[in-house]
Amino acid sequence: MSLRDRLYEQGKNTRTLLFGLVGLLFIFTAIFYLLQRDREMPAYLVTNRVLLFVLWYVNVVLILAILFVLLRDLFKLFLERRHRILGSKLKTKLVATYIGLSLFPVLTLFVIATELLQGSIDRWFATPVRPVLEQGNAVAQALIDRIQGSCASAARRALADLGTVDLSRDAERERLAERLRSMLTENDLDFLAVYEGTDFVQGVVDSRSGISDLPEPGRDLLGEAATEGRAVRTVEPPGGRGRLILAAVSGLPAADPDASDAGTVVAPAKPEATKKDPLAPEPAEPKPRIVVAGSLLDPVLAERTERLIEAFQTYRQLEVQKEDLRASHLLIFLMVTLLILLASTWTGLYLARRVTVPILALAEGTRRISDGDLDHRVEVPADDELGVLVASFNRMTEELQRSNRALQTTNERLAEERALVAAVLENVAAGIVSIDGAGRIFTCNGAALQMLHQSEDEVVGRTAAEAWSDPERSKLAALLASLPEPQAGRDRRSAREVQMVVGGDWKTFDVKVTPIRDAAGSRGRVLVLEDLTELIQAQQLAAWNEAARRVAHEIKNPLTPIRLGAERLLEKHRRGDLQIGPAIEEAADIIVREVENLQGMVDEFSRYARMPRPRPAQLDLAKLIDETCHLYRDVKVGVPVVCETGGEPLPAVWLDGEQIRRALINLIDNGVEATDPPGQVTVSVEVTEGHLEIRVADTGRGIPAAAKDKLFLPYFSTKGRGTGMGLAIVHRIVTDHHGTLRVEDNRPTGSVFTIELPLG
Amino acid sequence: MRSRSALCCALLFLLPGLLGSLARAQGQIRVLRATVEGDQVLVSFRLDGGIDRSLLERIDTGLPTQIVYELELARDRKRWYDQGLERNTLEITAMYDAVARETNLHFRLGGELIESKTVRDRPALLDALRKIERVPVFRTRGLTPGVRYLVLARAILGSRMVLAIIPTDVRTDWAESNKFRPPAVP
Repeated sequence: MSLRDRLYEQGKNTRTLLFGLVGLLFIFTAIFYLLQRDREMPAYLVTNRVLLFVLWYVNVVLILAILFVLLRDLFKLFLERRHRILGSKLKTKLVATYIGLSLFPVLTLFVIATELLQGSIDRWFATPVRPVLEQGNAVAQALIDRIQGSCASAARRALADLGTVDLSRDAERERLAERLRSMLTENDLDFLAVYEGTDFVQGVVDSRSGISDLPEPGRDLLGEAATEGRAVRTVEPPGGRGRLILAAVSGLPAADPDASDAGTVVAPAKPEATKKDPLAPEPAEPKPRIVVAGSLLDPVLAERTERLIEAFQTYRQLEVQKEDLRASHLLIFLMVTLLILLASTWTGLYLARRVTVPILALAEGTRRISDGDLDHRVEVPADDELGVLVASFNRMTEELQRSNRALQTTNERLAEERALVAAVLENVAAGIVSIDGAGRIFTCNGAALQMLHQSEDEVVGRTAAEAWSDPERSKLAALLASLPEPQAGRDRRSAREVQMVVGGDWKTFDVKVTPIRDAAGSRGRVLVLEDLTELIQAQQLAAWNEAARRVAHEIKNPLTPIRLGAERLLEKHRRGDLQIGPAIEEAADIIVREVENLQGMVDEFSRYARMPRPRPAQLDLAKLIDETCHLYRDVKVGVPVVCETGGEPLPAVWLDGEQIRRALINLIDNGVEATDPPGQVTVSVEVTEGHLEIRVADTGRGIPAAAKDKLFLPYFSTKGRGTGMGLAIVHRIVTDHHGTLRVEDNRPTGSVFTIELPLG
Repeated sequence: MRSRSALCCALLFLLPGLLGSLARAQGQIRVLRATVEGDQVLVSFRLDGGIDRSLLERIDTGLPTQIVYELELARDRKRWYDQGLERNTLEITAMYDAVARETNLHFRLGGELIESKTVRDRPALLDALRKIERVPVFRTRGLTPGVRYLVLARAILGSRMVLAIIPTDVRTDWAESNKFRPPAVP
């Protein structure tokens, strides 16, 4: 869905929400209006059966709607959570919060309000209104009963008086009006009439009563009076106000008027069980004579009486309808509650969706960007804080994309540089092996592989111990293992000569180990191998040439006096010199002395050649150095031998004490000899990571640069005397202890010999 | 979607039935007789019980009170396609006038007023409400001659609240009349 579609959709949703709210407002207004009107409505309308059913069904529909909305969303949430759709948990929490926030207060309010309503209705009917109304009704009814009774009595008397009157005679009929009027006055009536069956005979009305015309009692009154003997009615008087109370009594006229007693009336026969129409003409039987007497209840009294009766009736109606009324109010209240609940639930769900949609879009965007789709942009039409968040997210993505492009360019350049470096490494003569921080070999150039007679697969990706596990190559692994882990600020290069048999040849490698370090810390090491085999062979050859030259020179030196002595003896002998004896002695002395010199030289050489292997033992090096220095304390005036072994105690070391002492003596002896007073020879010791350095520094003449290369060769000496084997022996001892010996210039004058021995 | 709507509708229609069983009237229609006269089916019956004190009290208060008799014409051995062969209602509305001390009764058949009368005592009122005599409820036109039919009737005696808020009709059980055959049309 495009942004435009979403904006349209959101606009539509907002309109829907707006219309929904307006609709709800309208409904609530209508309900409020109805509730207001409810007070004016008759109770039977409020409790109308149809209304109750309509209300109930509206409520049921609302309940179903709420359940549908709730269940649909809850089911959707359940499915989303089950399928682990991103954001479903957040949505669940939001929906639960919104529903809880709307359900709890609304239901609480409903329960409390319902209780109040029930209590109000109960209290309404509990007030003492009923007895008052009941008594009022009784009084009104008694009044009507009394008037009806007096009318009935008057009618009965009139019927008795007229019992002997033969109404078939015209003269009697003419006198009847007069008699009725007289009776009307006597009995204080407002209306008096005589009927035969339903036939009107004669009637009079009190002219002062306001009744304008003769009232019509109605066939039903006459019929009831004919059948029952007595009937009463309350009717509206013609033209008058108030109520006219009528009482009708019936009787049969006497058969012989002359024979009958005055006032004698024969009561009409009771109706038979088989219903006969009492008004149907039956010629054989005389029609019943009916007298109707009426008394007018004046309008005020009539109205009050009716009001009393109606008030009681209304109250009774309310009593009867109490439950329906209660139900009606409850249903209306329930309907309002459900409407609020539906609205709040719907709104809650809608708001939850509005909040979760941008968050889900952000989460989806994050996922896609983490998958590498940096072209993805979150398009959510939100103009609130979420909109700001979305905009920031998109900006961040753009920035990330730019950085990524720059990174790609850099990576390409780095790859080119790496390829160049790799090409350089492949083409250098030195073997270069790089080891990562975890101790695994990650590069090994061709020269190194060639030197070690290995393939790349055998080396790369393995640790040094794994790659160089055979007895010869393990010397490299052992060398690496013997070096301490590189530490910040204490990096140093280590250099060793390692000899091993590789590919059936004896090889000597110069091994330099350099830590790789950057700002993040240790990154491993670089091992640089240099094949010194040919160089050493050449050096050895040169050394042996020099040694042979020197041996020849040294041998030649004593040979000359021996030859000269021998030639002088031969000459004396040829001349026959008799004084040959002293000459023989002198020549013999020279020969013996020179042979002894030769013998000594041969012994020294032999000792060098037969130097025993070192026998390491735990040694207190500081003590050994102190003792050695002590030997030279007063050897040369003005050239003290200073021992600097104080400070931190030295660790126990495993060395051949005699050989180390001998090496030190040689170095100190050379130093003392090379130093003219005033001067100083200093012996110091320092412990570094995994190494022990013994330095012998003098302030003497120093060593010429050209002599430094040959300094450790046998029979080389800068002193012009001695055998020239001292430093060669020192070098041999140090090498046998797997250490190195180097010589440097001392500042400002002199030389420094440094013995570096591995610890442990 | 449609099945969901159908389910909701079914629930809506089932609910009154379920609640109706809670509001069964005590009365019963007896002596239901159907006779054919001309093209009319005349129905007579009597309601025994059902009009209890609360109903009479309601009438006494002057509230318009209605008793509705539902009448159905059905084929004997009814088949599923005979549902609702013909229906009619007879409504009797009683309204007491406390001032005049009389009860006005209006009889409506199928919604049309067929009779009004006034009674002044309780026995007459009960008779008017309970006894229905020869009311022409159905016509024989459209009925198959020779096929046996019968009339079913029940009374709705107002409504009652179940669980305080659920309105339900108070009804009697259906009663069956004698079977009859409509005459052949000449």
